[in-house]
Amino acid sequence: MTNSIGDIEEADCILITGSNTTSSHPLIADRVYRAKENGARVIVADPRRIHIAHIADVHVQQRLGTDVALLNGIMHVILEQGWQDQEFIAQRCEGFQALRDTVKQYPPSTVEEITGVPAQDIERIAEIYARAEAASILYCMGITQHTTGVDNVKSLANLAMLTGNLGRPGTGVNPLRGQNNVQGACDMGGLPNVFSGYQQVANSDANNKFASAWQADLPDKPGLTIPDMMAGLEDGSVQGLFVLGENPVMSDPDADHVGKALQKARFLAVQDIFLTETAQMAHVVLPGVSFAEKDGTFTNTERRVMRVRQAVDPVGDARQDWEIIQQLSNRLGYPLDYSSPQEIMQEIAGLTPSYGGITYDRLEGHGLQWPCPDSEHPGTKILHQERIARGLGLFHAVEYQPPAESVDEKYPYWLTTGRIYTHYHTGSMTRNSPTLEREAPEGWMEIHPQEAQKLGVSTNDRVRIVSRRGSVEAAAFVTEDINPGTVFISFHFAESNANILTNPATDPVAKIPEYKVCAVSLEKAA
Amino acid sequence: MIEQVQQKVRELLEAGTIQGFLGLREQNGHIGPYLFQDPEDLEGMSLGDRERPGDTRYPLSKLLLTLARNYPQASLGILVRGCDERAVNALVAWNQLDQDKVVPVGLACPQELAEECECERPYPEDPVAGKKTEPVAFASVARLQELEPSERMRYWLREFDKCVKCYGCRDICPVCFCRECSLEDQHLIRTHNLPPENPVFHLTRAVHMAGRCIDCGLCEQACPAEIPLRILYKKVGQIMEEEFSYHSGETTQKSPLQIADNQ
Amino acid sequence: MEYKNILTTCTYCGCGCNFYLENLDGSLTGTIPCKTSPVNEGKLCIKGWNAHEFVQSDQRLTSPLIRREGKLVPVSWEEALDYTASELSSIRSEHGPDSLAFLASAKATNEENFLFQKFVRAGVGTNNIDHCARL
Repeated sequence: MTNSIGDIEEADCILITGSNTTSSHPLIADRVYRAKENGARVIVADPRRIHIAHIADVHVQQRLGTDVALLNGIMHVILEQGWQDQEFIAQRCEGFQALRDTVKQYPPSTVEEITGVPAQDIERIAEIYARAEAASILYCMGITQHTTGVDNVKSLANLAMLTGNLGRPGTGVNPLRGQNNVQGACDMGGLPNVFSGYQQVANSDANNKFASAWQADLPDKPGLTIPDMMAGLEDGSVQGLFVLGENPVMSDPDADHVGKALQKARFLAVQDIFLTETAQMAHVVLPGVSFAEKDGTFTNTERRVMRVRQAVDPVGDARQDWEIIQQLSNRLGYPLDYSSPQEIMQEIAGLTPSYGGITYDRLEGHGLQWPCPDSEHPGTKILHQERIARGLGLFHAVEYQPPAESVDEKYPYWLTTGRIYTHYHTGSMTRNSPTLEREAPEGWMEIHPQEAQKLGVSTNDRVRIVSRRGSVEAAAFVTEDINPGTVFISFHFAESNANILTNPATDPVAKIPEYKVCAVSLEKAA
Repeated sequence: MIEQVQQKVRELLEAGTIQGFLGLREQNGHIGPYLFQDPEDLEGMSLGDRERPGDTRYPLSKLLLTLARNYPQASLGILVRGCDERAVNALVAWNQLDQDKVVPVGLACPQELAEECECERPYPEDPVAGKKTEPVAFASVARLQELEPSERMRYWLREFDKCVKCYGCRDICPVCFCRECSLEDQHLIRTHNLPPENPVFHLTRAVHMAGRCIDCGLCEQACPAEIPLRILYKKVGQIMEEEFSYHSGETTQKSPLQIADNQ
Repeated sequence: MEYKNILTTCTYCGCGCNFYLENLDGSLTGTIPCKTSPVNEGKLCIKGWNAHEFVQSDQRLTSPLIRREGKLVPVSWEEALDYTASELSSIRSEHGPDSLAFLASAKATNEENFLFQKFVRAGVGTNNIDHCARL
């Protein structure tokens, strides 16, 4: 997030798009409720009538994968009415003319045809967002999990910069990170191209710095992303895979295909806390510990580094994950000799400028939000305050591109996926939690009454959902909260694994798969 | 003020009257619930005032219930404000705690906190620390009462519609002690999506609060949807008062709804 | 009677709520939201309120496992670590470090992820490390 969680309450307008906030980030939904109580206007743009849409001043249901068109339409209206922040654009941004030329091609009537959103709603959104004193954008995977994911995010940034909604309280472009430490895993260099703090492996200064600190020669060619790893397993260029606390067999798109790729691995090691679907395929399984059994830190969606403290002894013979990594490294001839996670944090602070001022002592109380470059620095609540991090904010003129897969005669329905309030990801934790499992023991497929009638299904009837990649069965839930022609299933349940259906086509830049759009056919199951 | 509490707890621990004292302690830069068993730990004790009086109130009587269920023979001390004492009394009335095993150490709330909580009894019977201040009438029920019934219904339906079904109102509640909960009965309330069935989810809980709710307000503070639950349960409490002249938790006397016991 | 409340950070979504885990005699018995957390201010969602439940599930892995004749069987740590290291070493020496790939974790701590990328880059000698940031 460019801004902070508490800061959302200071917004006069909150635009929520691609985030089922009350289910996936309930404690951020709370801030939206409070802002609404204080008089903020809430705009929800989501293909489903999600729960938070109940309090929206405007809710629009754009067709799946048409976000760029919708956002260009909103910006078209803003420019036509002269509601842009000319001073902010002139002083702090570049590339404005190209943006103006592009969005000129997206009048509300054209956008209505692409998105299905009435032109007058597009005009209302433009007015509410652009004329707010402070407007905040909250978005989640409904924006990013597209072949145009990067374009979608750039369009949101365009909208915020166009109206000067950046660098002040109650504004910003705020991605709600889905996993507790996905921010931290990225910050720490769990990516093929960067060390911790986003220092490029291919940059010789950065590479030399780490090589000298770690007393090792370090490769400077960026490594493989997950989709490339899977391809490598298939063509034999990757022989071994080591998985630390992930479950790609359930979580990656086109899951059957992923399963086949993993079967080809000469060696598959999995370090986890449960025997996940992926661990069941492994040659060796190393039992690590849960969050409650370890010390360390997580970094949340507002860049706040916070302590994790061991509350209970590990179960059975499970071992601290950092010790397992260290013991493996020692056996591979690269000795590591840390005595505690705290000692590792000292090294992180020394090598990672944005974490430079972070120590366990300073994390007592409220933690610290990075960037926190030195021991005196109080942390950073709002990014881009005096200036945008790259110097001038760059407008990207982005054209609408349809999703990679489209409905046709054989696969006439759109499918989108997401979370429900009681489960988390592949369910390895929540489905082993009796209270949560009782709350929702199986997956549902949401379908509009018109379509349900055509298929002759009622709530609780079993439906077979078939895509170009595979098929699953789920119980129907008939609801007007979804557009006719579109269905939704959650991705938590191995028995009806959404990712057997999803399309592995990825965004060309971010390599994020298009989980949110694919084409399916439906039939009532016996 | 804290010295009086520390002194009292030290005496109780050293005399062996109690095996532990459930209170609050500052740790990791926060104030949280703590079981004092060693008098040396009393140094770090807190009464739960961080930036404002009472801003770190926790459901200590609920935690006491967990300990008492596991150690029925142990005598335990507990820090009680007026609300906590009412909770202990209610748990005794509902046969969940053995009164002889609980040693309350009382703390009267300052006027500022009594005002904020709109508390009608901001002190325990016999405070060790603090002065008994004036009760504060609860105005919010009356304000809502002025609305037309249909408008009032709309108000509540809109509030309940925000619910994210965390069950936090129940989980934080010092007098929610049932081992099986009607809110989880899928024949009564359908499950699986948000919001929970409206209004049956919240009204079921409201009915269960009759003769129990001790008006501590922790439910409302724990609500991630900002639903004004306290007004709802307060109304339930008023009905109990009007119909039965019963104030939950004021004494350990049984509730008129515990019919079998009254017969 | 040994009863402690340990302040920590939730393991589910990116909000990062703070709560106390209640530990009674070595077992987790509950979760209490932290009132003074800057994130959740004494509130939690249903997942947070029940975050203690899965920790001591009887489905947890309690011993290293190695596949033998198609089945995963319990083995000692020494054996599991030796086996893992020797498989990684032999693939590396036959096909080079880039024939190995590693998935880090958005569930693991910062310290674990940092150490893991150090192990992969400096210890194994490849940049083939990624994680499910895109999920």
